[in-house]
Amino acid sequence: MRAIPQQRLTGILLALLCMTTPLVPADTSTPPGPFTDTECISCHTERDPDLIKQWRRGPHAAASKVVCSSCHGVQHAGANQKARQDQGCTGCHAGPASHSYSTSKHGVINRIAEGRQDWNQPLQRGNYRAPGCSYCHLHNGNHGDSMAPNHGPELRQWICSGCHSPRYVQAQLGNGKRQLEIADLKLTEGKKLIATAGASKDNALLKLQQSLAHHRKNILYGVGHQSPDYQWWHGQPALDGDLIRIREAIGKPHPESPLHTSPPGDSKLNR
Amino acid sequence: MHNRLLPTLLIITLLAMVAGFTYVHWSKSGPGAGLYSRDWLPDPVQGYWDPNNFYRSSDSVQGVFEGKQCVQCHEEITPGIVADWRASRHAQGDEKVFCNDCHGGDHQRLHLPTPEVCGSCHNKQQNESEDEARYGFPSHILAMERAVDAPHFADKPKAEVQSCVQCHSVATKCDSCHTRHRFDAAESRRPEACITCHSGPPHPDDTTYFASAHGQIYLAEGKDWDWSKPLTKGNYKAPTCAYCHMDAGRHQVAHKSMWKFGLREINPHTSNNQILRRRWIELCSDCHAEKEAAQWLGELDRERKQAWSMLYMAEAVLKNLRSDQLLQPSAAERPPYPMGSLWPMERIGFYEGQASAFYNVSGIERDYFEMWYFDNLGAYKSAAHGDSAGVKEGHQKMATSLEHIQTKAHKLRQRAATEQETEITPAAPSIWNSGAYTDYNREHN
Repeated sequence: MRAIPQQRLTGILLALLCMTTPLVPADTSTPPGPFTDTECISCHTERDPDLIKQWRRGPHAAASKVVCSSCHGVQHAGANQKARQDQGCTGCHAGPASHSYSTSKHGVINRIAEGRQDWNQPLQRGNYRAPGCSYCHLHNGNHGDSMAPNHGPELRQWICSGCHSPRYVQAQLGNGKRQLEIADLKLTEGKKLIATAGASKDNALLKLQQSLAHHRKNILYGVGHQSPDYQWWHGQPALDGDLIRIREAIGKPHPESPLHTSPPGDSKLNR
Repeated sequence: MHNRLLPTLLIITLLAMVAGFTYVHWSKSGPGAGLYSRDWLPDPVQGYWDPNNFYRSSDSVQGVFEGKQCVQCHEEITPGIVADWRASRHAQGDEKVFCNDCHGGDHQRLHLPTPEVCGSCHNKQQNESEDEARYGFPSHILAMERAVDAPHFADKPKAEVQSCVQCHSVATKCDSCHTRHRFDAAESRRPEACITCHSGPPHPDDTTYFASAHGQIYLAEGKDWDWSKPLTKGNYKAPTCAYCHMDAGRHQVAHKSMWKFGLREINPHTSNNQILRRRWIELCSDCHAEKEAAQWLGELDRERKQAWSMLYMAEAVLKNLRSDQLLQPSAAERPPYPMGSLWPMERIGFYEGQASAFYNVSGIERDYFEMWYFDNLGAYKSAAHGDSAGVKEGHQKMATSLEHIQTKAHKLRQRAATEQETEITPAAPSIWNSGAYTDYNREHN
């Protein structure tokens, strides 16, 4: 609770200042910090109850241990600017999640325009040259992931159409959905094939099952972040490869298969 | 006798030529595009990647508008692009380039700007870009043609292969590099402008360049360089993608390209390639001694030769298996995709069109595809961009793949021999012919 005496001191100074300049707004009294997360939460629960609610219900809630200071730091000055930049997210969201974005056109423009972008601007339409992580996922300061499926397609549509025509956005989102449906067909095909192996599933098949899930996720990143490379090379043909390998693994003669154990003349297999 | 034979042959040749042209014209006149246009319908989003062929304007808004009216309305509807345009060169000075100059003014007949539209002012760049066609594949200008003429594009569900045309639209739009609506030349000179497409397993241009000495200098200092300067000697401390491949801002990117993306073996010493080598040496000597540059080209030649010796060994293994009918399931036992020939055939190597044969093939064919497309191309890009660790890694991967292919082939032969001895045939290859996706593909190709 180090902040309290500082707050008092600033209050007194401000009161003195107000005598000479009566128009200074009262809330400039916000002390600079540093703050503990408990302090942030207790103060902002009063000031921005919605924001705290969104955070509590969202993916960064207490259980995930992503707290205010994880993204905003512990000082008031520059706290929002810091959290709005991609670097605030990529420390945790490394690998395909951030690589699919950083190689997308949005990621590329954001990186190139970083120096001349005014990060003081709220995360609203027209304020950013290209969307960074925060522009889409915390749009307008929404702390509950504005891209999460539970918000429905309307919010996504609204966010993208700050720059793109509504028809373009619909076409892109529609194609993304179809790409994922196709990926799901490949997953169904692969899982069904694996199931035919029954109890004789070996490590190779279990690995291939994981590989299917991994490549499907790449496609999700690809369509979400508009990365052709993740949609394609890390996605669809990679799934095609998984299907080939699954079939190959199932087709291989198993040590206990008829090819090895049955004598010539087996009714089903004989020529 | 000779008197009659010659005119007859001539007439037959002429008729065959006319028939050929008519057939190609007919095959290109379907609802899709390219050689297989009669076999497919576009996904609704394809109009945005290939506007000339597929974009249809919306009829939601009526009226013909002046540029200022467009800006006024879109300031509310799509403020991001208006802010972009205001910051662009198009919005500066007295002679502004307004929305309607590129999109048209009639809101029910709007068009997406194609290279022809941009070329009406930037004609030098458009001409240079079109000139690239004479170098053949691979190139930027023929990229869309290349995409839609690939059998796997015609075969696969159209929603799936939209991911291809996003990058191949570099032939049909200018905003792949000059992002809308800022169209900033300084932005497109940065290496990042290329990496959305030039990344990933078959063309890791991004990682190989960033790992090179050139790329390391760029990563450390590039953000402070003056990117408004033209791509000429003395303006940049280290070369970037554009500095080498589009020197002096030339939009004809194949000007020095010799190795054909590493997809097939070339002879680097033909008289024509000697000219291209000279061009590389001249470019490198902006900073380095000519002798050094020539030496590096020699190293790349040797790297390619070594890579191809391994690839040919693997190809031979596969072709021998094919001759002995040991590629199982055989082409006749697989789903009929990818199409592309009148009779079913296992396609091996560049010239037989294996670039499209990465699905519905046997495991060993896929192994070779990955060795050729991923390991080899990764090694090539590393060698060309000066990433020595990448070359080593690529060659190690190729050696491992080759060994794997040889072992697998050996097992296939052993298994065949056992089958013959015991007179047992393996289980029917029916698992290769059906499944949720395979069936969907059969109905929606």
